[in-house]
Amino acid sequence: MLQPVSVAIQFGFLAVIYLFLLWVSRSALKDLRRGDYGGRRAASPEPPPDATGLHAASRAIHGGGEDLDPRLVVARAPGHSPGMEYDVGESAVLGRGDQAEIRLEDPFASARHARLLRQGAIVVLEDMGSTNGTYLNEELVTGPQPLHPGDRVRIGDSEFVFQDR
Amino acid sequence: MSARNRELLALIPASLLVTGGFTAVFIERHNVLSNGSLTYGLVFLGLCLAAHVLLRFTLPDADPYLFPLFAVLACVGLVMIYRIDETLARQQAQWFVIGLGLFAGTIVLLRDDYRVLERYRYTIAAAGLVLLLLPRVPGIGSQVNGAYLGVRLGSLTFQPAEFAKIAIIIFLASYLRDTRQLLVIGARRFAGITFPPLKYLGPLLVVWGAAMAMLFLIQDIGSSLMFFGGFLALLYVATNRLSFVTIGLGMFAAGSWALYQMRPTIQNRVDAWLHPFNTPLYDRVGGSYQLAQSLFAQADGGIFGQGFGQGLIQVSGQGGHMVQLLPAAQTDLIYAVITNELGLVGAVGVICTYLLAVERGFKIATLAKDSFSKLLATGLTAVFALQVFVIVGGVTKVIPLTGVTLPFISYGGSSILANFVLLALLLLVSDRARREVRS
Repeated sequence: MLQPVSVAIQFGFLAVIYLFLLWVSRSALKDLRRGDYGGRRAASPEPPPDATGLHAASRAIHGGGEDLDPRLVVARAPGHSPGMEYDVGESAVLGRGDQAEIRLEDPFASARHARLLRQGAIVVLEDMGSTNGTYLNEELVTGPQPLHPGDRVRIGDSEFVFQDR
Repeated sequence: MSARNRELLALIPASLLVTGGFTAVFIERHNVLSNGSLTYGLVFLGLCLAAHVLLRFTLPDADPYLFPLFAVLACVGLVMIYRIDETLARQQAQWFVIGLGLFAGTIVLLRDDYRVLERYRYTIAAAGLVLLLLPRVPGIGSQVNGAYLGVRLGSLTFQPAEFAKIAIIIFLASYLRDTRQLLVIGARRFAGITFPPLKYLGPLLVVWGAAMAMLFLIQDIGSSLMFFGGFLALLYVATNRLSFVTIGLGMFAAGSWALYQMRPTIQNRVDAWLHPFNTPLYDRVGGSYQLAQSLFAQADGGIFGQGFGQGLIQVSGQGGHMVQLLPAAQTDLIYAVITNELGLVGAVGVICTYLLAVERGFKIATLAKDSFSKLLATGLTAVFALQVFVIVGGVTKVIPLTGVTLPFISYGGSSILANFVLLALLLLVSDRARREVRS
């Protein structure tokens, strides 16, 4: 006697699932149309051969790797006022020596202490065999490390914050 | 419309499904169901609402559709389990309560910055490996159909692999964030294939070794496929090198082949998969009975299904004792029960829900700005998707059947708890990513 009721509920059940799915997929479709779904935009330049899918994805949000402006902002460093910014450019050496692009007046720093190297849309931090080590977010840097905006680079008593635009 | 209001609106279908499903099952089976059992559905709705309020306060910017999609899956599962056995449905509802507690705990604990997880990556990795080894510890480990997946503590059994999958993904995401650049820069080409630099390959080999060891420890190709696939997906996203994935797949194939040669249980599985309707195999204990019955049940469902409560799961045989027509209907074969009662249309609906949930997961990964968040979201989503593939593929005779759960649908405490943690992590990543994009 109740058979028709449960059959009706069954079809209602299926209908609700599909309407819900349609609604959710509409939002996905909108994302695709807008074209900022993490994919490469038609207008953006081809990524360098070493670029990864991650680069491509972050590029869409950053609005192109060419706009990047990697900088080191002084958080605290002897002889520098906090808030001062250094451009990284293609590469920059941090150290106590004269050849260093970013001069550190820090007794714990070596002459050529660490290096920042730009590779495509990524800036890599590398220790150059310093005596007292380089710290990225308070972790000793052992090999080349990619930097992310907001990362803290510390050498002795000098500390910098990495920014990329 | 704000993200949270959109989410509340998207929870309406889930509440309709629970109400409708419970009513239909109750109508069909009121002679065996108690009136009080209808409250389990209400408990579930209350939990959805509680989770929504929690998200409103803690993660206001998180993806609005992810939670409702999971809620729809969970309520299809709950209705099906209710249809199989009301006691199981009560236990499942209780697991949802505990799972929600864990969900809230994860969110509150990691709300400020979930990236603290990176700091504990080796602890987390070790915990993951210990969890995977637990089923082999004599006394507490239990073996089911030749696979070592469960741990028995008193009357409770739990599946450590469910939690291990999250631990391993967190470790890999944080490890690959650091090393991905190196893997790409130092790569050498040899015989047309790009190999990662040997110097940095060590930890990757450890992970590969662990995945292989797990294959031999668990003796279950399905669960290993889930872990290994998640690992390769992360490696691919981190390096954009298809060759690394190819090498990994080759390793996995070789390992599986070796295991196949060594273990008769795996050979049984493969035989059962290739010839489920072969009579001697069908009659053998641990043979193809389960798979063949699953295929019969799905074929019986047709386009629109038999209707709620109409499927045959057990029949009374000789001497009044019950014969299980669908063994492990509430866990392994729940997809077959869904196909049987809701038909092709219902089953496709469930798979589409999974697809959209996975799509939201990858969208979170593309929106996230820092590499760790991207890799974490990708890895969690990939391992979730692979788990669905392994069990649905197994039940539909695409790959050999293995006993992993269908996330959020199958009955099972560990599965529910672990997947709640997974959902919490995805929402945490999503909240940060969407807030940064907006500002």
